[in-house]
Amino acid sequence: MNSQAPPHTRAHWAGGTRAFYAAPLLALAIPLFSNPYTQFIVNLMLVYVLVTVGFNLVLGNLGQLAFANTALFGIGAYATAMLMAHAGWPFWAAIVPAGMAGAMAGFLASVTALRGIRNYYLAIVTLAFGELLRWFYIHGEAATGGTDGLAVPRSDFFGIPLDSETARFYVFLLVVTVIVKAVSNLLRSKIGRAIVAIRDNELATASLAIPTGRYIVLAFTLSGFVVGVAGSLFAVLIGQVIPESFGLLELILHFAMVLVGGLGSLFGGVLGAVALTALPEFFRPFPGFYEMFFGGLLILFLLIQPRGLSALFAKRWPALRDRYYRDS
Amino acid sequence: MAALLQLAGVNVRFAGLQALSNVDLSARGGEIKAVIGPNGAGKTTLFNAISGYVPIAGGSIALNGSAIHGLAPHEIAARGVRRTFQNGGLFPELTGLENVLAGLHARIDASFAGILFGSRAARVAERDAIARARRQLEGLGVSHLADAQVKTMSGGQQRTIEIARAVAAEPPLLLLDEPAVGLAPPVRAQLVELIRRLAGETGIAVLLIEHAIDLVMAAADVIAVFNGGAKIAEGPPAEIRTDPAVLEAYLGHV
Repeated sequence: MNSQAPPHTRAHWAGGTRAFYAAPLLALAIPLFSNPYTQFIVNLMLVYVLVTVGFNLVLGNLGQLAFANTALFGIGAYATAMLMAHAGWPFWAAIVPAGMAGAMAGFLASVTALRGIRNYYLAIVTLAFGELLRWFYIHGEAATGGTDGLAVPRSDFFGIPLDSETARFYVFLLVVTVIVKAVSNLLRSKIGRAIVAIRDNELATASLAIPTGRYIVLAFTLSGFVVGVAGSLFAVLIGQVIPESFGLLELILHFAMVLVGGLGSLFGGVLGAVALTALPEFFRPFPGFYEMFFGGLLILFLLIQPRGLSALFAKRWPALRDRYYRDS
Repeated sequence: MAALLQLAGVNVRFAGLQALSNVDLSARGGEIKAVIGPNGAGKTTLFNAISGYVPIAGGSIALNGSAIHGLAPHEIAARGVRRTFQNGGLFPELTGLENVLAGLHARIDASFAGILFGSRAARVAERDAIARARRQLEGLGVSHLADAQVKTMSGGQQRTIEIARAVAAEPPLLLLDEPAVGLAPPVRAQLVELIRRLAGETGIAVLLIEHAIDLVMAAADVIAVFNGGAKIAEGPPAEIRTDPAVLEAYLGHV
């Protein structure tokens, strides 16, 4: 032990990549213990893991108050539903285009940020963008099915029929693991460091030969891709894509997941998604209580634990801290 | 030896204020040149002009003979001009090691796809950069700060990390903006030694803005004195100490 070591030193992530895969490997066994209802909730958790991980890239890592997340989520869901319902594409073929559509929208949102529209202004512009899209979902009936929405046809994943929660679970788990691992790789590299550096001090970041504008665009675009894929999974899980799913309430849920899990923490994002997807289910027998509890929980976290669950865990187990480099 | 950095007739104007007027200044490898002057003399504006943070209204700034004025800050940094900031330019949430790694950003040769999929080449490039950043911290005697978040460090520790980050990519030119502000005297002495060692060992050219005259006299080979946006004198410390214009404008008030 180095006696000179100051407090708050970050310990290393023991085992590195191997530890990363422990969670999805253990999760493989979940269907052994689940019924269709609990399995549906677990599948929804996986969708929200991507929602939160994607949102956190812009909100937590880049530190930009962009609230286009439900818009990106909706774009991914509608793109999937339209490709499958109108064009007859299989689900597997629609995932990447849904992500690309989200990435495109994220890219557009980044242009506003690049033009110096930041903070509250960016929040308002992106909120308005989400509401504009909802208007389009409601009024673009020929493409979107209007307020009734679009039914997502039965789907398969490279021949595996996705007609049960268990089948969907394995496909979702694969997609989520691949994407979260890729995001983790990015964050623990020069790219992740550049994005967090911009959040901490944009001017100083440029002084290190880091093209800040390019990384702002990259963070928004990546975020859009991840959340777009989440929308794609959501469409297939719910089976019906309707405008109400992508309103302000949904945005507050996404925001709460990031906040409760831990702003800027990949691990926190996963925690927040799992915790806040499971929570409403416990309140099912007590209608009306959930909203109260949810509001109270948010206030509690903002006041007492503003850095979220991940900071609590990291305090106890330093190995769980987020690192922005990779030596394995 | 030809100058590494050459400013000729540089003018900077802010809404009606002439912040720099007709400044000629050069910097040479292995030489430490202090830039001194009272508050508002244009010292930090000079640094901001060189590193691309404020546009110049006239004149030219050349690095190794080619013009760098008009380039974006990250482009100028990529050509080898690195700087520190007066009121702390570190990334507080990142650790000492991660800050220095950010300084090596452009030196890490890893493609986007390579990073995304964790390719061997990307991991090797990252590992090399980590080894290099650790050597840098060790060389400056702060390897114990590698895993500490910057926001938990003392002022002196932060200054050292910022210098480590600025020199990590071995830039030919280093601009230090008041590195000794708020440091205890023994730490200041270490800082002087550190700056002298950098210039002596690596042949880096250093421009140093500093208010602490004792530090300037101890560290600098040449001193350039600014007042009201203009350079009023330049020469070795012994000469500057007795220059009447300097005494009038600056030293007389200390």
